[in-house]
Amino acid sequence: MHHLYDWMLTTWLNKLVLGYPWSWPTLESLHFLGLCVLMGALLVMDLRLIGFQRTIPLKAVHSLMPWAIAAFAINLITGVCFFFGDPYNYSGNWSFWAKMILVVAAGFNFLLYFFAVEPKLLRLGPHDPTPGLAKVVGVLSLTFWFGVLAFGRLLPYLGTGGG
Amino acid sequence: MAFFAWLEASKLAEWVRMSSEGYPTVITLHAIGMAIMVGLCVIVDLRLLGRFDGIPYEALQKLLPVAWVGFLINTLSGSGLFVAQATMFATDLMFIAKILLVFAGAATAGILQPELAKASTWPGGKPPPRVRNIAAIGIVFWLCAIVTGRLTAYIMIFI
Repeated sequence: MHHLYDWMLTTWLNKLVLGYPWSWPTLESLHFLGLCVLMGALLVMDLRLIGFQRTIPLKAVHSLMPWAIAAFAINLITGVCFFFGDPYNYSGNWSFWAKMILVVAAGFNFLLYFFAVEPKLLRLGPHDPTPGLAKVVGVLSLTFWFGVLAFGRLLPYLGTGGG
Repeated sequence: MAFFAWLEASKLAEWVRMSSEGYPTVITLHAIGMAIMVGLCVIVDLRLLGRFDGIPYEALQKLLPVAWVGFLINTLSGSGLFVAQATMFATDLMFIAKILLVFAGAATAGILQPELAKASTWPGGKPPPRVRNIAAIGIVFWLCAIVTGRLTAYIMIFI
């Protein structure tokens, strides 16, 4: 892996991220804006999935999905920039890997939603209660994503970055 | 300044500043509260501006109390963060700008809440221009609050 990290340190992206005093704070601001929009959209979608807010038609929560995906994309891109800027610090920090594992877990949870829950929801009326599996997926989603947020914020304080 | 020095000498300030778990705990709660408050307020604002038009206004009214839970978390955690370095924050222009923007953002949510209660009387079922303007201003306040909040960590560079 050290070859990969050493290569990252030689890239133009590394220079972009570290080369200007404004680049890191700008990326952080975008990362925070992205996380707010992502968590806001997820809260509305997952609370409905769990069974709260039944005045929201099931189809209407879908309109939030593009915003959640766009916000996640912003955070993925800015996150990759951080990693290219300081690969040894992140890769040597267990909090970073805990965060990544939770992102992957949230990804699998989304696949579960997409293939096992959504087809069921499409057969329901707009204000119907949601099935048990939908509630499980909703609770897991909020747990994983708030975990991602917590481990991300704790990153500088948990574990010591290797280098 | 004596008042801020007194705050900074308090037990709470010492716990946040000195203990191994204090600052990480409080800063993480602050991020969680921010995600809840800003995230939900932005969704409500976007809805009032015409996005996600399948979501009924009465549902937004029920989202705002959840947003206020986030605001409460951040008022408490933010107080902890403030007292830990009160004398520094009290004179930091970036921090003062951030706090004013947060209160301005919260004020837009506070104004929108009773307006949403009247949603059934809106002509044509659409929010009146006044409400839409507040929603648009709300998004701008939150955006600026987040950026200035993040930049507060970079005081050295800017002052």
